[in-house]
Amino acid sequence: MSAAQGEHEQLFSGPLLASGLSSFTAAAHELKSPLALVRQLSLMLEEGELSIDEQKRILRQISLTSERALRLTSDLTRSVRLADALFELEPINPQQLCEDIIRELTPLFAAHDREVRFVSHKHPLLLVANRDLLRRIIMNFSDNALHYAEDETTVEIRVGSLQSGKIIRLGVRDYGPALSRDTVKSLKDKLAHAAAPINARPQSSGLGLYIASQFADAMNGKIGVTQHRDGATFYIDLQASHQLSLL
Amino acid sequence: MKKTAAILIVEDDKWQAEQHERVLNRAGYNTAVALHALAAIEAIDDIHPDVIVLDVLLIGNTAFTLLHELQTYSDTGNIPVIMCTNIASDLSIDDLKPYGVRLVLDKTKMAPKDLVSAVQSVLV
Repeated sequence: MSAAQGEHEQLFSGPLLASGLSSFTAAAHELKSPLALVRQLSLMLEEGELSIDEQKRILRQISLTSERALRLTSDLTRSVRLADALFELEPINPQQLCEDIIRELTPLFAAHDREVRFVSHKHPLLLVANRDLLRRIIMNFSDNALHYAEDETTVEIRVGSLQSGKIIRLGVRDYGPALSRDTVKSLKDKLAHAAAPINARPQSSGLGLYIASQFADAMNGKIGVTQHRDGATFYIDLQASHQLSLL
Repeated sequence: MKKTAAILIVEDDKWQAEQHERVLNRAGYNTAVALHALAAIEAIDDIHPDVIVLDVLLIGNTAFTLLHELQTYSDTGNIPVIMCTNIASDLSIDDLKPYGVRLVLDKTKMAPKDLVSAVQSVLV
């Protein structure tokens, strides 16, 4: 059998995937999955008759799934306050930031029997950003990669430079099902003019990318996606800091 | 000897899939997991499941592509499908029945035993 696109996909034409999805609806949708899973796992624990190892595994999954939901709520709160707050931009060493993020994400990836690693740039780089917002963007891309990449593949966080070092690119490379050309084209259009949630994968409301694009805007940066034969790279481009050239 | 029913779980959230397996294995069913529609099609050919537990929003093709594909072949068109989804309230069982869907379970409301009851009911 082959899986052709079926006309019956039209059966699902609910509001969740509509292009005009509101952030509020998207947030509710996005939070449903982790909350539903936490609830089911908790009910499983209540039923009892589980081995100690099973109980430990379920408890670990509950705590890590809750953290994922909390990250989203935290990003949402920050996103809503973007217009009212000034975010200090400072020179940041992206390698150090990425290594901190990897340390934070390693337990989550390990619980999924997965690995996240940093692919370093050969020369030291310095960029201008808000540390908290940039961290949230990379965490978001990494979380996305964890959930949508193929099993047993490594997620890579990469740093590179463009335009003779004027632009620094931080990217999260996953090795998963390739995005279709149409999806990539649609994504690129939407990332360039993000005014609503951006749906990169069908089961995602696109809220994460929408928030990431807002955070990028607040730092005069830009997020984008590169399609690969075996996955995708979601990235943010930011201005390089001139401080390094003064050293 | 009575054959143990084989359940194919099509679910892209690995921990959710693991939870379905945990529940069904404890009830005595054999299970296999496919994380997306293409993997499901391969698994259907391999294990000839008695029931498919299907999430709706999957990586790549959605559940509806898979449902359409199942209906294309006489040997797969009769496999009962239980949809298990967070968007149950957006779905109509009447619309889905022609595609082999027997039940729709709401992940946000179901208890572990509901999945077992659903599988038992479609196997009768």
